[in-house]
Amino acid sequence: MIELLGWVPFLPFLGFLILAIAGERLSRRLIPWIGAGSVGISALLTALIGAQFLKGAMPPYRLALGSWMAVDNLSVPFGFYLDPLSMTMLFVVTGVGFLIHVYSAEFMESDPGYARFFAYMNLFVSAMLVLVLADNLVLLYLGWEGVGLGSYLLIGFWYEDPNNGYAARKAFVMTRAGDTSMAIGLFLLFTQLHTFDIQSVMTQATNLWTPGTVLPVAAAALLLGGAVGKSAQLPLQSWLPDAMAGPTPVSALIHAATMVTAGVYLIARTHALFMLAPSVQFAVAVIGAVTLLMAGCSALAQTDIKRILAYSTISQIGYMFLALGVGAWSAAIFHLLTHAFFKALLFLAAGAVILCFHHEHNIFRMGGLRKSMPLAFLSFMIGSAALSGLPFTSGYYSKHEILLAAFEVSPVLWTAGCLGALITGIYSFRLVFVAFFGPQHAQVEKSPGWRMSAPLLLLCILALAGAMLEIPLASVFSALAADENLHELNTVSAITVAAPFIGVLIAGLFYLTGAFSTQRLESLVWIRQIQRFFFSGWGMDAFYNILLVRPFKTIARLNKNDAVDSIYSATAFLSLMFHRLFSSLQTGQVRWYASSMVLGTIVIIAIGWLS
Amino acid sequence: MNGIPLELGLVLSAVLFVLGLIGVMVRRNLIMILMSLEVMLNATGLAFIVAGSRWGQADGQIMFLLILTLAAAEVGVGLGLALQIFHRFQTLDADSVNEMQG
Amino acid sequence: MNSNQFIALAPILIIAGAAVVTMLIIAIRRNFVLINCVSACGILLSLLAVGLIWQANPVQATSLIRVDGYALFYTALLLLTGLSVIGLCYDYFKARTGENEELFVLLLTALLGAVVLVSSSHFASFFIGLETLSISLFVLISYTINRQNSLEAAIKYLILSGVSSAFLLFGMALIYAQSGVLDFNGIGRYLMNQKDMNALVLSGVILIIAGVGFKLSLAPFHLWTPDVYEGAPSPITAFIATASKGAVFALLLRYFISAYNYSYLPFLTVLSVIAVLSILIGNLLALLQNNVKRLLAYSSIGHMGYVLVAFIAGGRIAPALVVESVTFYLVTYFITTIGAFGIISVLSTPQIEADDLSFYRGLFWRQPWLATIFTLMLISLAGIPLTAGFIGKFYIFASGADARLWGLLLTVIVGSGLGLYYYLRVVVVMSMNVEATAIEPVEPVQKRMSTTILAVLTLLLLWFGLYPGHLIESILLISNSLK
Repeated sequence: MIELLGWVPFLPFLGFLILAIAGERLSRRLIPWIGAGSVGISALLTALIGAQFLKGAMPPYRLALGSWMAVDNLSVPFGFYLDPLSMTMLFVVTGVGFLIHVYSAEFMESDPGYARFFAYMNLFVSAMLVLVLADNLVLLYLGWEGVGLGSYLLIGFWYEDPNNGYAARKAFVMTRAGDTSMAIGLFLLFTQLHTFDIQSVMTQATNLWTPGTVLPVAAAALLLGGAVGKSAQLPLQSWLPDAMAGPTPVSALIHAATMVTAGVYLIARTHALFMLAPSVQFAVAVIGAVTLLMAGCSALAQTDIKRILAYSTISQIGYMFLALGVGAWSAAIFHLLTHAFFKALLFLAAGAVILCFHHEHNIFRMGGLRKSMPLAFLSFMIGSAALSGLPFTSGYYSKHEILLAAFEVSPVLWTAGCLGALITGIYSFRLVFVAFFGPQHAQVEKSPGWRMSAPLLLLCILALAGAMLEIPLASVFSALAADENLHELNTVSAITVAAPFIGVLIAGLFYLTGAFSTQRLESLVWIRQIQRFFFSGWGMDAFYNILLVRPFKTIARLNKNDAVDSIYSATAFLSLMFHRLFSSLQTGQVRWYASSMVLGTIVIIAIGWLS
Repeated sequence: MNGIPLELGLVLSAVLFVLGLIGVMVRRNLIMILMSLEVMLNATGLAFIVAGSRWGQADGQIMFLLILTLAAAEVGVGLGLALQIFHRFQTLDADSVNEMQG
Repeated sequence: MNSNQFIALAPILIIAGAAVVTMLIIAIRRNFVLINCVSACGILLSLLAVGLIWQANPVQATSLIRVDGYALFYTALLLLTGLSVIGLCYDYFKARTGENEELFVLLLTALLGAVVLVSSSHFASFFIGLETLSISLFVLISYTINRQNSLEAAIKYLILSGVSSAFLLFGMALIYAQSGVLDFNGIGRYLMNQKDMNALVLSGVILIIAGVGFKLSLAPFHLWTPDVYEGAPSPITAFIATASKGAVFALLLRYFISAYNYSYLPFLTVLSVIAVLSILIGNLLALLQNNVKRLLAYSSIGHMGYVLVAFIAGGRIAPALVVESVTFYLVTYFITTIGAFGIISVLSTPQIEADDLSFYRGLFWRQPWLATIFTLMLISLAGIPLTAGFIGKFYIFASGADARLWGLLLTVIVGSGLGLYYYLRVVVVMSMNVEATAIEPVEPVQKRMSTTILAVLTLLLLWFGLYPGHLIESILLISNSLK
């Protein structure tokens, strides 16, 4: 079974090819079968491979695919590498991906770009699978750019609206900044270690480099740049909320469950390198902690249901970074897994609400949906509980592990994490209380069909019990010394568990019972200012505007006539002059032609004699 | 074979050659151009004969025979074309046959 | 003459015989398809003969002709070219009224001249081959006698070719007068024993270069090229551009190597000046050209300049490498040029010659396959990777760099830059919006023969571009056969 690994990414790619070539000429009944079917078979294959793989002792499996290029002393053989880490990612990508594809079959049904949508989605899934399976850095980079392309295409899916195109470009450009840093990191690794194979890079780096020296620090920092861009962490996080311009299933698949966690995967995959660079690893933790707080605060001020979820995604990935930074590699991947379940659930449920409720995004115009949309309500309750990390949900286990690990390293990081958990409780249940309780403002148009409901139900179960799917990753991270058998710290543990409850309580007091009024708070000027500040995502866009966009525009304006270009226009002008000159010699007069031959002969005889 | 020195023979053929060349360049009538071409080719033939006589070989004369054949064939085709051109352009002026240029 | 020599001459004799047989059959029965088949069979037979003696040792068949690997390779190349041109002619002339059968006789004689040229080792066979080729071409160019352009082109070519032949002959006479020999090896021996270069011999060789330069349309002897290309029927233009030039170039290379001409710097200086002028003038002239046939004519001037760079490199590097570079370049040039003119000939109708750029507007939407093939041919001419043209240009650079001809290579780079502009300009025009075209859609005529040939050429183009190894191996076999 495991030999069929190559088919897992290939099938979605095949789907992409069929859909891209045949396009809208296919019958609309067939399109979802191809689109979701290809991913479905992939998921089935993954399940079978997983069953075989997990049964054994899980030795890493390599599938050689051939040589990409072999020029001189540069040879890039490529293949797939399956270990528990990539297995986990495979489950997430194909499993959650399949559910989202099924959901999309109904969600996008009336869209004119039905085939285009599934083609892009399949392309994305295929690239993501290549990313997680790649055994060398070049192939990984191919997947990395492939998912970036998929993300760009899908954010701008409804391209008639220029704003969507703008959001797509923003996402592309900002992640590209990180990608460039990552590419430089790859060059550095290759020039120093002369191999692209991830495993040999890691072993060689461990053997050759002393921890904390310049080389590992530089390489790890450059890779971190790529991870930060892709995973929307500080300072490259502001593209993700705008990326919500894409269709909701896209947000669920790409901007919650899979692509944005690629950065986490990258760091986990290259963890040996980060362990050689303790300063960079600590920076990862700090970035995670700061991002999770900033994004959490921003989520508090949002009114758009998808933007709340987007900021919460940034915040949750912040937790994963925090876990990576404190060396709790398994916990990070575990949280990645559970987050994929509950965030996909939340997004899909939000999509159901949006679709059935007049395409309304503002939660304050919803209200009372509890009765009219029971399934969405259930999903949101379970999803929010898992998101906040309330006990007995999957999110609880993973987040708990992270926070305890953080406490081991630094109580400050732990405090930030707990504060974040509290804020998470507030904003997630603010959303639930505002949208699903209270008076209903308008009637629901329709209710979701089975293709939307089934994935929601399945994801509900996964969000609750997904923690049981945790794959032991000890073999991957065997290199790390710090054991994860944490001491049971009762007080710390208790506070960690209590934090989200307090958050839920605060949300309830404000938005459910009305014991406190938000109006009273908003009447204070400084609160309003803070709210506006949070709403704008801590002014990151304005910051970049001043730092980069405006100076660039100024330079562009100054160089309007393009000084360098004048060289080329002069060349063009000269060429044109000579063209005219020589053309005028083509008179069509045979006697002139003969004379020119005579002249030419005389000249070359003279040259011959003189030289 | 030492009647005429090589140099004189070559100079004569060169003079004939240049005369033919000038004819090609200055005459406008196609027939005259073809005749000037004949002069040029014959001048080269003369040069070959002169050279052959210097070395006492028959090769030069054989080359002359080949050149004669060529000249005949070329003029044959050339006159045929001149006929057709007169038919179409109503003139034999080489300068008016210049529809293609640039 | 022994039997060995007869066998070695078989390819030439078969072509000559085929020409006679074709002529006789025309006298008996005038049938376009039949004559086409007969002439094609003649070429195929000749090819078969080439295949049979391919492995044999070099044979000096009479003092005029030397049949070695080099000659046989070029013979095969020319025969295949002739075959493709006959195929193109079939579709091009089928729809035309008039007696079109003699065309094939003339093609065969032209081919005969070209084949003699590539195996000649003597001034006499040099001259006879060249003139057999040229005189056949005069008639071929004017074959569509109802087009004024055709007549004009033929008379121009005839007069100028006559002048150039005279130059060539006078050069030969001068060399003969000094050395007393007419065969290349003899001249080589004579030059080797000379201490200083005799002014007459120098002038003689330069006059030969001038005469050959005309046939190769090298600047400053290039002025005839666009007019003749434009006036001649498209398949014949393809023949002039490839077979005629390729054969002359192969001969020039054999002459330079056999007759020991590489040792004299003045020749190389003269050739370098000619190469620089050809590359620059050819490419500059093509820049804004709106007639596709003229554009290709100008580009061919530039291409001949490029090959000349590899040729000049022979002054410093081993002859084998020069043969390799030049041959590879010529093969790719043959493929792309026949392809490009093949497209023009497929698009042409008896009423109009498809040579104006406006004709190609939106071709991608009307005839996507033809447009794709044309694009491939053009980007190969431009030397863009993945096509054979790129490998060819790579060879030019490799041999030029080996010989440290930096100035010439710089010119090649400038020329390629200019080339990119006008080749892509045609591609851009082809992809323009179809609504803007003023030309009414021409009824599609089935031209199976031509399209098959074009498809084969395209495959070859990509094959040699992607896996040049196969072609290089067979060229390496012949590269040492010149002495």
